[in-house]
Amino acid sequence: MSLRKIFLVFLKIGTLSFGGVYSMVAFFERELVEKRKWITHDEFMESFAIGQMTPGPPIVNTGICIGYKLRRLGGALAATCGQAFTGTILAILLAAFYLHMKDNPLLQAVMKGVGAAVVGLLGSIIYKMAARMITEYRSALLALGAFMALDLFKLNPITIILGAGVLGLALYWRE
Amino acid sequence: MNLLRLAFVLFVANGLTIGGGYAMIPLLQREFVDHYHWLTNKEFIDAIAIGQVTPGPLTVMNAFMGFKIGGLAGALIAMAASYLPCIIIVTIVTNYYLRYKELWVVKAGFAGIKPAMVGLLAAVLFFLSTGSVINPVTKGIAVVSFAVLTFTKLDPSFIIIGAGILGAVVFR
Repeated sequence: MSLRKIFLVFLKIGTLSFGGVYSMVAFFERELVEKRKWITHDEFMESFAIGQMTPGPPIVNTGICIGYKLRRLGGALAATCGQAFTGTILAILLAAFYLHMKDNPLLQAVMKGVGAAVVGLLGSIIYKMAARMITEYRSALLALGAFMALDLFKLNPITIILGAGVLGLALYWRE
Repeated sequence: MNLLRLAFVLFVANGLTIGGGYAMIPLLQREFVDHYHWLTNKEFIDAIAIGQVTPGPLTVMNAFMGFKIGGLAGALIAMAASYLPCIIIVTIVTNYYLRYKELWVVKAGFAGIKPAMVGLLAAVLFFLSTGSVINPVTKGIAVVSFAVLTFTKLDPSFIIIGAGILGAVVFR
C-alpha cells in the first residue's frame, strides 16, 4: 500500500469527521477495518489503546500508530499529514478572516455567544473526564491538589503535571 | 525568537499531557496568555471554538494560534511542533507495546497525571469564564451548552454554531 493511499484515506477521515472523539473512532474503524481491511479489528483496538496511553491527543496518536503499522515511519507521517490537512488549512483561513474582521460588530456579537458556549463545553468535558478518571480517594486528592496548585498557588502547569506523575509513582507503587 | 518559543511550548504541551486533546489547554493558556501575552483570554477561547468547529482533531486550534502569533510560518511551525512529539513517542511505543503495557512505572505515573489534568482544566475554566460569561444571556448559553453536551450525544460543533447565531441576534 502506497504512502499516497495512506495520506488520502487519512485525508478523508480528517476532513469528514467532526467534533467528538467517538464519531471519529467509529469513522476510523469503518474506513480502515471494514471497508479497506488494512488492519484487523484487534489491531485497531490495540492502536486505539496506544493512542490513549501515550501523551498528546488520542485520536492523532491512534492515526500515527495505524500509519506506522502500515508503512513504518513514512506511514506515520503520511497519516498525520492527511489527518491534519483540511483542519489546518481551514484554521489558517479562519485565523486570517478573524484577524481581518476583528473589529466587526457582527463578528464580535457572534464570538460573544460562541465564547459562552465554549465555557459550557469545557465544563462538560471536565465533568466527563472527572466521572471517568476520579474513581477513588487518591485520584480525587490529585485532582484537588492540581486545582489548588494552579488556582491558589499559581504554579506552572508543567511543574504540576510532573509533580502529579511523581506522586502517581508513590501512590500507585507496583500496582 | 517568538517562533522558537512557540514551537517549544507546543512541543512540551503535546509531549506531556495525557487524557485527550483538551488536556493541553491549561498548559497553553498559561504560556500563551499569562506568560507571553501572545493572545488575550478571549482570543484563546475563540481558538478553542475554531478547533472545535473545524474538522479533525482539536489540535488544529494550534494552527489558529500559530497564525495569530507568527503568520503562515507560525501556523505551520505550530502544527509541526504539536505533532512531532506524538510521532516520536507513538512510533517507539508501537514497537515495544507489549512491554510498555506492562510497565508499572508508566501506569503509575499516568495514574497520577490523569486526575491532575481534571483539576488543572477546572482551574483554567475559572480564568477563562471571567471574560466570557458576563451577563444573564452568556450565563444561559454556558449552562445550556453544558447540559446539552453532558446529557445528549449532539456534536459540539452544532452547539458552537448555534451559540454564534444566538450571539449575532442578541448582541448586535
